[in-house]
Amino acid sequence: MSLLKGIYASIWMGWQREMKWTNPALSFLIKTVAPTAAVLGAAAVYWFGSSFAGLFTPERLAYIVIGASLYAQVGAYAFVPTSAIAEGKWSNLYPQVYITPTSSIPYLAGRCLASFVDSAPVVAISITASYYASYTLFGAAPTILVSLRSILMVTAALLLSLPAALALGYILGSYSIFVSRFEWALPSYVSGVLMIFSEALFPASILPYPLSLIAEALPFTYLMRASRAALISDSWTLYVNSMAFLALGGIILFAIGIVAFSYAERSARARGFIDKKVM
Amino acid sequence: MHVDLNLWLRTAYSRAWVRVKSTYGEPIWVAVNLSVPLLSSCAMALLYDSTGLTNYTGFAILGGIMLAFWGNVLWSMASQFNWDKEVGIFEIYLVSPAPISAILVGMSLGGILATAPSAAFVALIGWTFFSLSITPAWPAVFLTFILTLASLYAMGMLLSSLYLVYGREAESLNSAIGEPINFLSGIYFPSIGTGSPFPFALQIVVSIIPLTIGMDALRKSVFYAYDIRLVWLDLVILAVMAIVLLFLGDRALKALEERGRRLGTLVVRLR
Repeated sequence: MSLLKGIYASIWMGWQREMKWTNPALSFLIKTVAPTAAVLGAAAVYWFGSSFAGLFTPERLAYIVIGASLYAQVGAYAFVPTSAIAEGKWSNLYPQVYITPTSSIPYLAGRCLASFVDSAPVVAISITASYYASYTLFGAAPTILVSLRSILMVTAALLLSLPAALALGYILGSYSIFVSRFEWALPSYVSGVLMIFSEALFPASILPYPLSLIAEALPFTYLMRASRAALISDSWTLYVNSMAFLALGGIILFAIGIVAFSYAERSARARGFIDKKVM
Repeated sequence: MHVDLNLWLRTAYSRAWVRVKSTYGEPIWVAVNLSVPLLSSCAMALLYDSTGLTNYTGFAILGGIMLAFWGNVLWSMASQFNWDKEVGIFEIYLVSPAPISAILVGMSLGGILATAPSAAFVALIGWTFFSLSITPAWPAVFLTFILTLASLYAMGMLLSSLYLVYGREAESLNSAIGEPINFLSGIYFPSIGTGSPFPFALQIVVSIIPLTIGMDALRKSVFYAYDIRLVWLDLVILAVMAIVLLFLGDRALKALEERGRRLGTLVVRLR
């Protein structure tokens, strides 16, 4: 029970931090602008490149719009532990969380869930905005299948990606506990690497071997594939297979994340890193 | 108001020195600053590659190089005074005789020198891993690059003065304007002229962003051998933008500093 209360309090705290720095509606609008612009940027690169080569297809545009929109969700998770732990050390919040009876595992889970709640609607909005903007700018709308079934399938895929998102939070959290400088460095790299290796913009097959294997091992790749199977190809087999790999990869990564974070937390306590700051 | 030139130059030099020393004295900063421009330009280069247009991967790498500087303007110029305020340095600036404009210019010059290694790494990695085909007209490339940086950093000075009135909002504003400016200025694709997906009216609007004109002129001079005679108009626009933005930045800073002093909010920190 106290675990659930801890997670709930942390979700609330994450919400306050992300959305309540100004009017929540304005905050949400601002949160949506950057991912939508990033999606349109990628779509414009594709439009420019493929139009010159005479290879433009609305299906491929849809592939990019969906992948880039989901990437905004995936990339956001990379910054949660830094915001929760590294920034929390500066504001003296994290040491106080640490001394509570439930430790910081539910705290980090709550912050990741808050990020999920914040950014899931952003995905829907950036896909919708990019759909209409693509039609206006490129004269062709991406072919996206919108139905109750496809929306439910994407929602299920997003929910099933939660263990992987939490795992990313715990793995990066175990780094954040120890750093007191350059705390944004690793999350920036992880977020950038995910853009290349999670099939956000292009199929993993264009990456040279063995780099393509990294993409195959990432659960987030299967989130992209499952969502595209629901919204573009309407392929039930591809969807189910991707969901199975997403679940399996998420569980394995989650276990690794919990072990890594528990070890890091114990070690940081013994070595005095919990409230270490560098001025 | 009389400005002591010697003091102004010494202040600018000192502020630039701090920034240069902090990067070159701790080279890990280069790796830290490299992540976003390198990985996003590689992703865009691979996207070009996946559409079968390997010739255009250079657009993505050039975009990454300029993104390094734009990121520096946004995060180390625009919001710098806000961070200086948080750690208590801003009060020292205010009570010292050092002219704020010299601090900003020094910060810009230091920022350019500190970002140069990250930009060079993006170019080197792009050159090594992607088959870039360039036909540069070097004098035009050099002049365009200098004027683009001048106008970009002048924009950073204007933003830094505007951000003085904000607290933690500055960080969110930076996150919100970064990507839209990347998109509208066509950092990875032409957003004005031939090949632009934007309607003419939007192309006019996005041309007020220095990065738009700079990227367009850089692409022409790096990839299509446009010499100075062919990009002179872009160069004139960039020079005018730099002067106007510098003037506006100075005026805005003075006005907002005065307002902050009057309201007592100039050194208010969020805790």
